[in-house]
Amino acid sequence: MSREGTGKMLGAQVRRVEDPRVLLGKTQYVDDLVLPDMLAVAFVRSPYAHAKITKIDVQAALTKPGVACVLTGKDILETIKPLRVEFDTQKVPFHKSCNWHVLTPDKVRFVGDLVAAVVATDRYTAEDAAELVEVDYEPFEAVADMESALLADAPLVHEEWGDNVMERLEAQIGEVGKAFQEADCVVSERFVTGRHMASPLETRGCVAQFDVATEALTVWSSTQVPHTLRASLATLLDLAEHRIRVISPDVGGGFGLKAHPFPEEVVVTYLARALRKPVKWIEDRREHLSASLQAKHQIVTAEMALKSDGSVLGLKARFLSDAGGYSSYPWSSAFEPKHAAGTITGPYKIPAFSFETCTVATNKASIGVYRGVGIPIAALTMERLLDMGAQKLDLDPAEIRLRNMIRKEEHPYTTLMGAEIESGSHQASLQQALDILGYDDFRAEQQKARQNGRYLGVGIGSYVEGTAHNSAVFDSFGVKIGGYESATLRIDESGKVTVFVGTHSHGQGHHTVYAQLIADTLGVALEDVAVVQGDTQATPRGWGTWASRSAVTGGGAVTSAAQKLRDKLLRIAARLTEVPADDLELVQGAVQRKTGAVRLLSIPELAHRIIAQPTSLPPDEEPGLDVTVAYEPPPITHSNATHVAALEVDIETGQVQLLRYIVVEDCGTIINPIIVNGQIQGGVAQGIGSALYEQAVYDDAGQFLTGTLMDYLIPTAADVPQVEIGHIETPSPYTLHGIKGMGEGGAIAPPAAIANAVADALSPFGVRVNEVPLTPERVLSMLDRAQTNPGTE
Amino acid sequence: MAETQFAESQTIRVRVNGQEYEREVPVRRLLADFIRHDLGLTATHLGCEHGVCGACTIIMDGESVRSCLLFAVQADGAELQTLEGLADGDDMHPLQQAFWDNHALQCGFCTSGFLMSAVDLLDKHPRPSEEEIRHGLSGNLCRCTGYANIIKAVQAVAEQSQS
Repeated sequence: MSREGTGKMLGAQVRRVEDPRVLLGKTQYVDDLVLPDMLAVAFVRSPYAHAKITKIDVQAALTKPGVACVLTGKDILETIKPLRVEFDTQKVPFHKSCNWHVLTPDKVRFVGDLVAAVVATDRYTAEDAAELVEVDYEPFEAVADMESALLADAPLVHEEWGDNVMERLEAQIGEVGKAFQEADCVVSERFVTGRHMASPLETRGCVAQFDVATEALTVWSSTQVPHTLRASLATLLDLAEHRIRVISPDVGGGFGLKAHPFPEEVVVTYLARALRKPVKWIEDRREHLSASLQAKHQIVTAEMALKSDGSVLGLKARFLSDAGGYSSYPWSSAFEPKHAAGTITGPYKIPAFSFETCTVATNKASIGVYRGVGIPIAALTMERLLDMGAQKLDLDPAEIRLRNMIRKEEHPYTTLMGAEIESGSHQASLQQALDILGYDDFRAEQQKARQNGRYLGVGIGSYVEGTAHNSAVFDSFGVKIGGYESATLRIDESGKVTVFVGTHSHGQGHHTVYAQLIADTLGVALEDVAVVQGDTQATPRGWGTWASRSAVTGGGAVTSAAQKLRDKLLRIAARLTEVPADDLELVQGAVQRKTGAVRLLSIPELAHRIIAQPTSLPPDEEPGLDVTVAYEPPPITHSNATHVAALEVDIETGQVQLLRYIVVEDCGTIINPIIVNGQIQGGVAQGIGSALYEQAVYDDAGQFLTGTLMDYLIPTAADVPQVEIGHIETPSPYTLHGIKGMGEGGAIAPPAAIANAVADALSPFGVRVNEVPLTPERVLSMLDRAQTNPGTE
Repeated sequence: MAETQFAESQTIRVRVNGQEYEREVPVRRLLADFIRHDLGLTATHLGCEHGVCGACTIIMDGESVRSCLLFAVQADGAELQTLEGLADGDDMHPLQQAFWDNHALQCGFCTSGFLMSAVDLLDKHPRPSEEEIRHGLSGNLCRCTGYANIIKAVQAVAEQSQS
């Protein structure tokens, strides 16, 4: 693993450089921060799903010793703007915006909605005082599910809309009617995904401090997007952005959830400024589960038209999505179904597609982005329909996929939705995954097991993961954010390198992979590269880490910056040594003449001259070794993979036991296989949670029922098998080094592969498998339904 | 409203990572908060405060416990070990080294709890099977790694100690 400085760190199995301080307990998460005179916040949250606030009495709370202030929605109505997601109507014509007040002044819209903030000397006192705030509510009937939200007499979540529809979109591409007329076989189903949650181990939290002398605010927050948070705080609090510094310290997981600015962060920042004392808020787990952001809850009704040979002629789908009470910034809570529709064709050549997306507001926590955003349900829909088609046409599930997949030589392939899939290995990844399983042997074992009353099943889930969307793609979505990423690279007088990045690593290992990329370009050792992130005062404006973007965009920025400084070093070295620049290279900390591999000058020597002895430089060269680069990636970079699940269903208990789980992934050029495999294994664990265990549950009155991790079930070490991983490397022709993003992929296909495997296991009973999570209770009721209505399922 | 009066605070003595502390604490202060905020030992993390996620696991008198489910006063007279006491200076404990070698951590928030649970597991079962490791660590949640590398790391240490 020691290939430092030899130009071959790309692809090396390097242990993570960030690990020792974590293992030795030297990290600093936001709750570890202690400032003098720091106060603590506890929020008063709504116990009702839908109610009018008729009165708030803060007197008892205010008089409790240790309480500094109580803030309600009416107090800040004029001073803090609400979060509001607005789109360019040219691009998103049918979207209704809503105000998400940071403390609601009049009406609560979900259990956990923010009513008041109580500030006290410590968290214990603040929580006690929060219980003393008396709020009178006039409860309304709740909009508790997305289908009833559309009824004509449904209560209104946002009265000014006139109905509960946040966004509706319809499109037809290709001749869908003709496809269905000419079909030999049509399959259709209604698919439902649970309300899942990212639920990182570290909840949300922030600390804000106001410097009276400079009137500057510093905000430490557990966020994936420090720069975006800073811009939001400035806008919502009407402050100058350059007076706010956001620091994202160590962050204990995000998975998309922490890629949104939150009302609580705005309130805490406001309070620190108003009280002129540092203020801390650390979310508890119940708050997190009920009142952060939930995800992925959709009902998809879909129909597929096929020819008798299994080729797909067309697809129709309606995506109904439950946005919850408000809309999350910046993508909006209507992004989930749009992304599902935009990605549903996956690795397949589908000649005609029509769809409708409809996002409705309900009285639940709002929907945000979470690992995979829309693609897991798109893959569930597509992959289940293919299996259903294969069954009707008496084809093998693998065969029907191989027939419809984009072939290697058809790349770059432009999808119906207009995305160019630049390269990929769809058939090869499927074939390799089946080989790892020993597909034919498993089928034989399955037959034998059935004779013994045991039900084994195998299921496939193939997908394409669009990563690292560029600015033009977000512009076409109508979302006002950048897709580029920035890096400032600095070589100091000792020849050591510091890179300042706009991305944010919270487990992804960026320090290691960026150092690998820089080490290769500048010929320095891995340990001579320091990575600085998560501080808006130190780093150039970037967009943070989400959407599997950092390897491509952050990696592109640091590599481009390193290339610029390498060129400068070589240019100046050429003048100083009188050797042509194209005969020079940077190797093992020195400028070396390629011819004869002669070391001419060490990088520290050269750096010292460029920085501290500028008079010795050629007159057309600027002193210093600092460069800032903004790297704009190609529109979308596509990874692909196939997952294969082999499992057993206990028909007595409904329990699903995973026997094997295989992933063959192609994310182009791999920077560090240890990290790629770790992302796959971890993503699959989350996908297994979505497929089998996890759901945030509300009752018919919109009451939240899963407020602890004993109710919202995250998979444990006893539930997640060792994933068997295979790799194919098909580089992107467009990105630096051919790298493709891959962070979300692991979580995308488990619902599809596992649902297909459960359907396969239970095929003797003709069970409809159309809903995740496949909890034991649900599996049993699917079996019951099939047995009471044989032939109709 | 009549309230029963309890002593609001109490003086406790604990030995943490070999060092003696005597502190007056409010009787309702959680042991986790005492360790983190009163003693400044912030390697112990709180993930749920319901006793489910295991992030706050420490060793108390030779047993792994969830410090979010105990009051500080319940630790009076006890010997505690937290992650800060695991390494010898910067020389890692074999489990820490194995976690590094096997990429058994990503965001790091659960890592402290996993290490302390693994210390307890290997203390009681020096030669655990994979099944026993999975079972022994199933009270700790990790949202990043999918556990496979954590299990490998613990296996690696168990194998080292056998050879």
